[in-house]
Amino acid sequence: MLKRFLSERPLRLPHFKPYVPRPSDPSIFWFNSERDDIVSEVVKRICAAHESDRARLEMALNDAAFHEIRRLEKQRDQEARDRLGYWRSMIRRIGKMDDTEQRRVLHTIVTNMTRDVAGNFDPRVYRFARRAVPRMVGGIMEPRRLMAPAPEALGRVLKVQGDLEHLRYLQNEGSLVFVPTHSSNLDSIVLSQALEISGLPPTVYGAGKNLFTNPIISFFMHNLGAYRVDRRIRVSLYKDILKLYSQVMIERGYHSLFFPGGTRSRSGMIERRLKLGLLGSGVEAFSTNRVRRVDRPVWFVPTTINYALVLEAETLIKDWLMDEGEARYIIEDDEFSQIDRWFAFFRKIVGMRGACIIRFGEPIDPFGNRVGDRGQSLTPSGREIDAGGYVERRGKPVLDPARDGAYTRELGEVLAKRYERETVLMSTQVVAHVLFRDLVQSTPGMDLFARQRLRGEIGLDCETLCQELGEARDRLRELEDQGRVRTSDVIKGDTPRELLERALSIWNGYHNSTAARLEGDRIVIGDPSLLLYYQNRLVPFAEAIASPDQLQAACEIENLGVHR
Amino acid sequence: MSLRIGVVGAGGFGRAIALASARHGHDVVVWSRKDRELPDSIRMSTDIGTVGDCELIFVAVPARHAVSTAEQLGEVVDGRHLIIHVSRGLIGAELKTVTQVIRDKTVCRRIGALAGPLAADALAEGRPSGAILGTGFPELTEMARDALGGGELRIYDTSDVVGVELASATVGFLMVVLAYAQEIGAEPSTLAVLATRGMVEVSRVGQTLGAKETTFMGLAGLGDLIAAVAGDQRPEFQLGRALAQGAKLSNARGKVGAYVEGIDVARHMMEHARRLGLDTPISSTFVALSEGRINPDDAIQALMERHVGKE
Repeated sequence: MLKRFLSERPLRLPHFKPYVPRPSDPSIFWFNSERDDIVSEVVKRICAAHESDRARLEMALNDAAFHEIRRLEKQRDQEARDRLGYWRSMIRRIGKMDDTEQRRVLHTIVTNMTRDVAGNFDPRVYRFARRAVPRMVGGIMEPRRLMAPAPEALGRVLKVQGDLEHLRYLQNEGSLVFVPTHSSNLDSIVLSQALEISGLPPTVYGAGKNLFTNPIISFFMHNLGAYRVDRRIRVSLYKDILKLYSQVMIERGYHSLFFPGGTRSRSGMIERRLKLGLLGSGVEAFSTNRVRRVDRPVWFVPTTINYALVLEAETLIKDWLMDEGEARYIIEDDEFSQIDRWFAFFRKIVGMRGACIIRFGEPIDPFGNRVGDRGQSLTPSGREIDAGGYVERRGKPVLDPARDGAYTRELGEVLAKRYERETVLMSTQVVAHVLFRDLVQSTPGMDLFARQRLRGEIGLDCETLCQELGEARDRLRELEDQGRVRTSDVIKGDTPRELLERALSIWNGYHNSTAARLEGDRIVIGDPSLLLYYQNRLVPFAEAIASPDQLQAACEIENLGVHR
Repeated sequence: MSLRIGVVGAGGFGRAIALASARHGHDVVVWSRKDRELPDSIRMSTDIGTVGDCELIFVAVPARHAVSTAEQLGEVVDGRHLIIHVSRGLIGAELKTVTQVIRDKTVCRRIGALAGPLAADALAEGRPSGAILGTGFPELTEMARDALGGGELRIYDTSDVVGVELASATVGFLMVVLAYAQEIGAEPSTLAVLATRGMVEVSRVGQTLGAKETTFMGLAGLGDLIAAVAGDQRPEFQLGRALAQGAKLSNARGKVGAYVEGIDVARHMMEHARRLGLDTPISSTFVALSEGRINPDDAIQALMERHVGKE
């Protein structure tokens, strides 16, 4: 009961004296003083968009009632007992309501939903989390150093790359929207840590309501500016509210973060198909500001989060292979929800330098253009242009949702390409790719699922494998020189044999199944699905790094990205 | 309201667009490397910068010049400009569309591809016709209708830009195939099978590049093919006939006097299909035929002996 209460209404600390932000504070420190205003703004705009058209208004109310009844009937929990009656009674009355009554009901629904979405920001919680999180994670990694002043272990494990100075400049000139790849539920934690150690601002972000089910996590999420996204709610008004909330925040200069992949990459592949809803909120924020003559730029920062070991790898790939990835947004029984797996994971990576690399890519404007030192949009040849021109028609800035929708689709394509360029390939991924490619090559004509059953049946000569690994690495270096991808320092520095042994030691002992094992001078493939997960990061590069006799297998691997 | 329209390229299509736009009362400037004679209502310029003053720009150059043209345009355009191209071709082995090239080389984003059974002389003279505009930007369609539409030209639109461009380019190849078959005396039913199965084949490949099947069956694909078969004097048809009469590909191209990209498109398309494990029997057979690796009898036999299945 208490747990439910806390997850529904996350705790806030009492304010004896309101915090007055200092000019040097990040924009999010102003959030609490603007919170009610932001909620009102969202409610006003959503209601205005529906009120002028009775048919649209009635449709929105019917849609809300229909989806909520369906959801609550399935949930059969306390929330269902509390709310089902309201929606059932409402759906019966919609047709009989006059305009005023319908508008009043719409206003109530939108206000409640927006309040549920809106987060909170408490500078005290922020300061506490800044100090406590690294220490806690460091403590899990090295319990004896729990009380050490600096979380050295975390510093060793987490590496940050990118033009941080440029981003630090831009944070004071406009709204930054960080758009990272998404592999693990740890992403938000490591990313906020990466922002912190890089001197970049804390951001507003949407967090799945499933993360609010734990009262402690819920407390931190809620008080650190996260807004709640309940993916079970299918109501179109709710989706409009989420998007508009994000838009209004960006319009007002709050730095934001969202995962355009929508959910964790089940396959381990670099995301290609991006969810455009929240991405569009950045584009529309820019055009709305321009129409209102507010010159506040919006920049997107393509960010990649690269792990040598993924906490939830086994569950994610299993889910992908079961083809449930699309439907199963919320996995409540994965490794993230098992504290012993957290310990096992952190204890495993403690000795690995650069086990997680966060790479902040070059920022781009909402139209996919490069951004210069002073935040100006640039053409490919370096000519400075006014980004406001994109929202002009016959010389004047105008609002046009269809146009902004098209810009958003284009931005999604640009981001997908940027993700490839900014991905930092890790030792485990390259080793898995070479092993998996050999598996494909030695089982011609077999389908992906049949190959998953070949556990312990395929053995490869270790020396040949190391040679192939060396060749793959040389080709990756060439790709890196062309700016097509990046590789970790470990890949650059290790010998192929060291790389192989490193990957085996990372996998084995953490994952429940053995990805591959050394047996004398042979490597035996233990769990092809784990190899598949890690190698999937190299899908876009498979053909480019294959030798002529491996080309057939590489094409087959590259097609995984086309068909799935 | 009068628009400022720029036309890049003063070939047949460029002139036709300029004439149609001027007829509708717009302020038109045509850019070309060489000075060309144009009616007084149209300005001529050899300075690409003049196009930068226009809001709507039509690009009417062959696909093989798309890269260099886009690079030049890239120096003068920005986010304010809207671009529509009328090129019917793809670039390189990656089957890059002209829209993608313009997208890469310029900062313009509001881009569209105009295609379909639209003939330059009908457009220039204002005879009733129709076309399809592939664009994600509805405002571009409105502007294209303002510029060219009037009562003579019906411009439909679709958001399947890549579909329009792939259909337009691959249909060019099917035109060569049909002309060849017609010239060697193929029966109407044979032509019908080649056309419909050919369309299925190119649309199958197109779908792997993001195109929608329905676009191939619309104005950009089937519509364009019907216009060509109905007697539209396309260079693709002349090339097909010349090849059937025994000319080598290079000579046949010389005879036509225009660079027909159909065979190159088919070759790249085959390579792409092979990598994905797709079957392209008509393209593969015809490319072999055009390169002199097989003769017409072998080609017919190879196609007829194939396993026949459901449509």
